[in-house]
Amino acid sequence: MTVAAQAASWRRVAADPTLLVTLIAVWLLLGLFVLFPLVELLGRAFVEDGRFTLAPLLESLADSGHRAAFFNSLFLATSVGLLGTALGFLFALTAVRTGLGRHWLTLLDAAALLPLVSPPFTTSISIIFSFGPKGFITHDLLGFANVSPYGVWTTTLAETLTYFPIAYLTLRPILAAIDPNLEEMAFSLGGSRWRIFRTVTLPLAIPGFANAFLLLFAASLADFATPLILAGNSFPVLPTQAFLQITGMFDFKGGSVLSLILLVPAVFVFLLQRYWVGRRTYVTVTGKVGQRSRTRAMAPWAGVLLIVGCSLVAALIAYFYALLLYASLVVAFGANNSFTWTHYHVIFTEGLPAIRDTLIIAAIGMPLGGFYGVLVGYLIARRQFPGRRAMELVAMINYALPGTIVGIAYLIAFNDPPLALTGGALIIVAAYVFRYSPTGIRATVALLQQIDRSLDEASSSLGAGSGETFRRVTLPLIAPAFFAGLGVVFIRSMTAISATIFLVSISWTLITVRILENMTELSLGPAAAFSVFVIVVVFVVITGLSAVLARLRAPAAGAAARSFLGG
Amino acid sequence: MSSISIRLERVSKRFDHTVKGEVYAVRDVSLAVEHGELLTLLGPSGCGKSTTLRMIAGFEEPDAGTISIDGKDVTHALPNKRGIGFMFQNYALFPHLSVFENVAYGLRVQGRDETDLAKTVGEVLELVGLASYGRQQPHQLSGGEQQRVALARAVVFQPKVLLFDEPLSNLDAKLRVEMRDQIRSLQKRIGITTVYVTHDQEEAMAISDRIAVMEGGVVVQDGTAFDLYYRPKTEFVARFIGRTNLLAARVVSAGEVEVEGLRIALATGRAAGDVLRLVVRPEMIEIAPAPSGESARARIVQRTFLGEKTDYQVMLGSAMLQVSATDHYRRPPMEAGQPVAVRFHPEGIHVL
Repeated sequence: MTVAAQAASWRRVAADPTLLVTLIAVWLLLGLFVLFPLVELLGRAFVEDGRFTLAPLLESLADSGHRAAFFNSLFLATSVGLLGTALGFLFALTAVRTGLGRHWLTLLDAAALLPLVSPPFTTSISIIFSFGPKGFITHDLLGFANVSPYGVWTTTLAETLTYFPIAYLTLRPILAAIDPNLEEMAFSLGGSRWRIFRTVTLPLAIPGFANAFLLLFAASLADFATPLILAGNSFPVLPTQAFLQITGMFDFKGGSVLSLILLVPAVFVFLLQRYWVGRRTYVTVTGKVGQRSRTRAMAPWAGVLLIVGCSLVAALIAYFYALLLYASLVVAFGANNSFTWTHYHVIFTEGLPAIRDTLIIAAIGMPLGGFYGVLVGYLIARRQFPGRRAMELVAMINYALPGTIVGIAYLIAFNDPPLALTGGALIIVAAYVFRYSPTGIRATVALLQQIDRSLDEASSSLGAGSGETFRRVTLPLIAPAFFAGLGVVFIRSMTAISATIFLVSISWTLITVRILENMTELSLGPAAAFSVFVIVVVFVVITGLSAVLARLRAPAAGAAARSFLGG
Repeated sequence: MSSISIRLERVSKRFDHTVKGEVYAVRDVSLAVEHGELLTLLGPSGCGKSTTLRMIAGFEEPDAGTISIDGKDVTHALPNKRGIGFMFQNYALFPHLSVFENVAYGLRVQGRDETDLAKTVGEVLELVGLASYGRQQPHQLSGGEQQRVALARAVVFQPKVLLFDEPLSNLDAKLRVEMRDQIRSLQKRIGITTVYVTHDQEEAMAISDRIAVMEGGVVVQDGTAFDLYYRPKTEFVARFIGRTNLLAARVVSAGEVEVEGLRIALATGRAAGDVLRLVVRPEMIEIAPAPSGESARARIVQRTFLGEKTDYQVMLGSAMLQVSATDHYRRPPMEAGQPVAVRFHPEGIHVL
């Protein structure tokens, strides 16, 4: 931009007081809750006595345990990335190409999406119940004694089952958008089915594979809850090491450094995903999924094989959740299988403060996050002002960073006056709003791109200022994105732990943290009951919001609804 | 107060172009629109007409120059402070509001009281012939009806000026003629200053008091439809407005020129030997069967019967002439290949 154009751009902002005040407010919030904690974290790790130093970093890298944690993290993330992408592809191919009926597809979707909206320990708990010393599979069915459910394989299994839906959601629209005519044309040219799959279908889906792999890699890298429960001492990873450094040894500096080592691959993957893979799609994704005639380019036996494969995975997921429900209803799973309501009684008496706190925090965070997402999305998509791109980028930071980093950064930044916010509810709400609203921001931007700019201009020409236009025109039109953003913030408020575990206190705690405490005390019954409770609440809220979205019937409500699960 | 309502003085707007660098969308445009006048900005796409209109509305800000409405400088004022009614190409009706609420929008923003508002909206809907449509949603209406709602919404709060951005381009041909007559009669009835943008020269000629033809970000000619048709200043205007023959002529003497070997009496006041460009409209050329025995210079290449007229393509020397004849009912049609005599009327020739 030229100097003159920049000056004009500033003048434009100055002439519009509502816009000016809003921009200042958003930047203040971003500065306080995104940039400031990050700067504090970097300062804690790299500044000593007012001088820049790499000593703590080198010290940390020299520690063989930390190096092992780093490589373990990379290994785990790669395994989960590969396995999860394969599983996601299996589900996507089955959904798009085997001509399953609508009801079967819904069932498949449910099995695939359940893990995404569950609290973090559900798969882990079920794995312990299945593969532990008294595990249903290892002990009861196979008769092994003293099997350990902890280590790299169970961690990989749990993370793969938890995160493969991301690959499914990424690959399915891409596969659906590949025109069956392309394959049928190749078929008519005399290619064998396998050849067509190899030379037409797979190459077209390659950008999707890369994208799915990177998303899974990032998710696994940042995952804190699963390795904390399942990895055990033999398989340390970075997020858990950073957590133990801080909560176990009160070593803030060591924890900061460890979390920043995690940052390197995380940023690398984020940039790769965003600027390389994100721009290489051969197929246009229009959002139209399903409703396609079954293509004959798939051999019947291959279709059967796919359906069998999917059903096995779906059955495993269903089994895990059934086990969770069962475990919440018996005295002591594996030892005393008689029916009891005790665990639910426990969570609604002793556990009540955590439930109350979680619901209060979710209820406060939900509207704030929904509004913040819509507001920032609107500013980014529709207004011209200096620093627009910077705002877009900064708003995404907390979303892109592993939760452990965000949690430690908040802990360090808000521990001392004048901003001693730790221990209160506000800090937890802020963590959720700034970490999970970017889904709402993206949904808003996507929606606004479908709504013509002339509507804003029409309102403006009719005498409305920018605030009034936003309230009377934009807000009603982006309501679907608002509700989607609201939903994501609520679901994550109920299920997230990686950032907020550093921020809970005696006066404000969370269900997920209580589940973790129960797990470490080996009171698995209440942990299971808590998990079931969270799943039920989340299910009810999603159903309610979906009903609202269906009623709005705005052009992009469907897309907004799907973005629920993307976060 | 002067009778000038909208005045643009040396207004320019640049855009950053990815390949060409900085390009002018509008360059040094000066215009004055009188109170109650309908001025059309006419030109091909990319000529800067819409950008000019959007700068008058305030949706774009000029990089240089000033814009004033009713004597007040509004160059940097926001659109909502200008008192303009704007008609968009895609109508831009609010999809979440009923027809009534769409029209009432500007009044609600002003904070009018409910009874006054209901009365005013009712009157305007009556005016555009949609009195019974208040409760409908925009998507239930036809294109023409949506158009009229947009018009009602633009005039209801009595703006100082009305701006139209190719409002008829989404309608079919018949409806387009109907709507442009409606717009014109409404504009005359309420006597509102109007700037109208279109790329359709016929629409421009039908609706305007005055037309400014734009090319490459510059106003190349500004005048009545009659001026533009008969006295175009440039080749571009001559070609853009109506069909035209552009002919090279050599001055023989002060009172005579020669076109493709044909001598025409035309007082140009230019020195012998000068080469001129002549604009001759197709209906200004007369052709008749060449008298037998005489060697004819011209020959019909193609004949197209269009009912109200017959179009001929006539080869005269090395030039292909477009000729329109409306007297074809009086004489037998001439056939392709037939030699003809060509006659130019000096009063129908315009020298560029």
